[in-house]
Amino acid sequence: MVEAKERRFPDPHEFRTPPELNGWEEMYPSSYLFSKDREEWEDRQFWYQDKIHDPEPMPPLDLIFHEAWQISLSQYTTRVFCIPPAQGVAQRMVGCYMYICAVEPPPEEVIKEKTELFQKRVFYVFEHYDELWEKWLNKFQALGREMAAVKVPEELPKYVPEDQVLPAPRGYYASYELIEAFNTLVSQMYKGWQYHFEMLNLTYLAYLMFADVCRKLFPGISESAIGKMVAGAYVSMFRPEEELCRLSRLAGSKPGIAEIIKRDVPAEQKIEELKKTDEGRKWLEELEKAKDPWFYVSCGSGWFHYEGSWVNKLDIPFSYMKSYVERLEKGERIERSLEEISQKRDEIVADYRKLIKTDEDRKSFEDAYKTVRTIYRYAEDHLFWVEHWFHTIWFDKIREFGKLFVKHGMLKEVDDIFMFNRFEVPEMIEELATAWALGEGVPLRGKYYMEKAEKRQQILEAARKWTPIPALGIPPKEVAEPFTVMLWGVTSEKVAEWLKGVAVVPEEVTEIKGFASSAGVVEGTARVLKLLEEIVTLQPGEIMVCPCTNPAWAPVFTKIKAAVTDIGGLTSHAAIVSREYGLPSVTGAGVATSVIKTGDTIRVDGDRGVVTIIKRAEQ
Amino acid sequence: MEEYVIDFDRLDRSSLPKVGGKNANLGEMLKAGIRVPPGFAITTGSYLEFLKSAGISEEIFRLLASADPADVALLEDASTRIQDLIERAPVPPEIETRIRESYALLCDKCGEREVPVAVRSSATAEDLPSASFAGQQDTYLWIKGPEEVVKKVRKCWASLFTPRAISYRSKNKFPHEKVLISVGVQKMVNPKAAGVMFTIDPVNGDPSKVVIEGTWGLGETVVSGSVTPDRFVVDKVTSEISEEVISHKSVECVYDPHKGEVVHNEVPPSRCDLRCLEREEVIELAKVAKLIEEHYGLPQDIEWAIDQGLPLPENVFIVQSRPETVWSQRQREPVLGKKSGYELLMEKALTPLKINF
Repeated sequence: MVEAKERRFPDPHEFRTPPELNGWEEMYPSSYLFSKDREEWEDRQFWYQDKIHDPEPMPPLDLIFHEAWQISLSQYTTRVFCIPPAQGVAQRMVGCYMYICAVEPPPEEVIKEKTELFQKRVFYVFEHYDELWEKWLNKFQALGREMAAVKVPEELPKYVPEDQVLPAPRGYYASYELIEAFNTLVSQMYKGWQYHFEMLNLTYLAYLMFADVCRKLFPGISESAIGKMVAGAYVSMFRPEEELCRLSRLAGSKPGIAEIIKRDVPAEQKIEELKKTDEGRKWLEELEKAKDPWFYVSCGSGWFHYEGSWVNKLDIPFSYMKSYVERLEKGERIERSLEEISQKRDEIVADYRKLIKTDEDRKSFEDAYKTVRTIYRYAEDHLFWVEHWFHTIWFDKIREFGKLFVKHGMLKEVDDIFMFNRFEVPEMIEELATAWALGEGVPLRGKYYMEKAEKRQQILEAARKWTPIPALGIPPKEVAEPFTVMLWGVTSEKVAEWLKGVAVVPEEVTEIKGFASSAGVVEGTARVLKLLEEIVTLQPGEIMVCPCTNPAWAPVFTKIKAAVTDIGGLTSHAAIVSREYGLPSVTGAGVATSVIKTGDTIRVDGDRGVVTIIKRAEQ
Repeated sequence: MEEYVIDFDRLDRSSLPKVGGKNANLGEMLKAGIRVPPGFAITTGSYLEFLKSAGISEEIFRLLASADPADVALLEDASTRIQDLIERAPVPPEIETRIRESYALLCDKCGEREVPVAVRSSATAEDLPSASFAGQQDTYLWIKGPEEVVKKVRKCWASLFTPRAISYRSKNKFPHEKVLISVGVQKMVNPKAAGVMFTIDPVNGDPSKVVIEGTWGLGETVVSGSVTPDRFVVDKVTSEISEEVISHKSVECVYDPHKGEVVHNEVPPSRCDLRCLEREEVIELAKVAKLIEEHYGLPQDIEWAIDQGLPLPENVFIVQSRPETVWSQRQREPVLGKKSGYELLMEKALTPLKINF
């Protein structure tokens, strides 16, 4: 009898990273490493690489968001709402990439206890969803404003200002303010993430429930079709672009302003020019009004410090406005109507509803739909406030610490501060404050930190070139945790795919699969964009291949023939915008940006979620 | 006055007793604006008049009564004799004239001197929803000229009494006298591709899909199963083509002008694995299927053909449509179990997703 090979991935405790990554372990808190003392438990879980939030190597300080959500997401499942058979999502780092797992289910008695609690606690949220949403938004915005108000000392002065000493000493000075500021920011970040998950678990549960309902009624229905029924317009995610349209219209109505906006010069220069006239200054006032909060939208996902946001990369929104003004002059419409999107979605729902055979089923379908639509709004709207607005405020504040470290010779560049994790930064702050307090001629280990930062940059570079293994450990028989299924898309097919093709040689791949997010099939030349700045290289009619999109990328969609993303499901930004513009798109293709090269001829099949590489670009 | 021949565009579902299910359907679809190749129907009345004037009814029923369907030899013998009777009996002149006139009109309409037609039986029992009589009576393809048309009409009348037809009716206790026959004469589409489609997924009964099967040439190879066709599954609501299977299509059924008949040819290797339908054609077919289903309010089993040389969408023809017989018969049970949105949510929370790999 032939022995069946056990279907599994490498043991996380035996897996070795390549030598060029040596030293990566010290970049992260020690609890993030697979360890001997937790070996037995770790070996029982199934760890897969989180391609959605951490497709790139992790800068140490950017880990804080994940540290915060590991606690927050998990506790809602285990201790707050108590979703019965599920437990939390645990994280580990391997070779600068993050691996996560849905913790194995709790014992039977615990599941029973949780069932009772779950029904009681969830019912209230379910019944009062709309008012809870309002409350949540107010609460969260207040927290963000608190964070924005935190004062980070700009310098450690030679002598503290007189008003801090006379007539009576204040009692605490720049050294303390520095220490306290960072602690406060960290606390606020953790709180924000605690808030973040208040309603998200339920949202995903609702989506999964509705997907089940659709599949029972229509066995062959695609994920894409389900997504189209659930996802509507991200109301707040659309605002940044709406503001651009508003400002563009305003500019378009004044020839003097339009002319300046259309110039091919940096945003700084345009602003200088606009300051010179009355109407220019008026327009700039409108710009200021729009900046907070709408320009806080990230130029990427919001998870990495190096992505930037519109508010600190003004060239990007200005370049969009340039093209909007030009289109307005041609008589084109630049706004996208949210009503149209909602209307289209409603039509799809009505069409499916018509196909249902029995009255009872029709009623259940309507009810299920109502449930998911009410709850799903949260999934759409929270994204802007947390991952974009809140994170942008954080990055700005952290850079102020970076500036201070540069001033005192501890770092070469402001952004090098992100090479240190959130436990190491307080150490650096304390060292700085101590050296300042000790007086003149006291050494500060500037070279030490600069060399460390440089080494870590190199490790991250090496990690970027390495292809991390998709998973570690033994795949589970069942997954109860809703995020794992829905957000990360861990399904039987996914696991089987990973088991098959663990070592992917990019040059040999001819076909990749993702979500069929927007219908249609086209062929064209690929343009791989990893960062938003690179869009200047995009030629009209090309097919955009990028990690993921968000409203900062929206105007790009008017130029392209189709879109392929590494990350994101049918309810993702790229999917929704593609549908609106009637472009085919395949999202969540995982390895698209590593496998496809700019210049390749590719076919995007948005009906089946398949991207085929037809011809490779000439070398 | 008795109508012997009626043009399709004057038919609708109420015409079934006169022209049989198939023809009535064609008229109904034409009325609904579906692109159906033009033609006309020779009524059941013509058949009856023919039997009466030829005086062969009694003989036919005597032969039928004597044949035991279980006895193959006896059955074949009776069948041969009956068919012979029919094929030798004269067609009443008024009827023959009407057929010839209608064919001439059809040729005019199509702008052809002798338009090739399909001559098809349409029994009044055949396409009733509850019985799959399909293929029990014969079809003649690529018939040209009024002489041939009349000949084939008579052959269709005779096909009511093939051994298969007789035994099918006996087995299912269908009284022979009750089955009347009408014959449809319809312009042949010269198809680059043809096939069938269902407005419900025949595999799982999914009501939101149109499943299209097609191959090169005439659709008979798909209907008869002699070729593995290409397969496309289209979502009715989103028009997504969720599945595409391109098969190896080595044989095609086409009209051979030299031989003057329909033949089975080998498909050249370059075309065997090529898709027989372009994406736009698939979507257009699905659109039409949806229209037909909406019109009848029942899942449909449809025969289609894509004409060579005409542009989209004028090249998409519906040759036939009848109610689907398998899933429509199944019990209409609610699948969701009468649950509210909240109950479904609770259920979902308590049920882990099974991973099988």
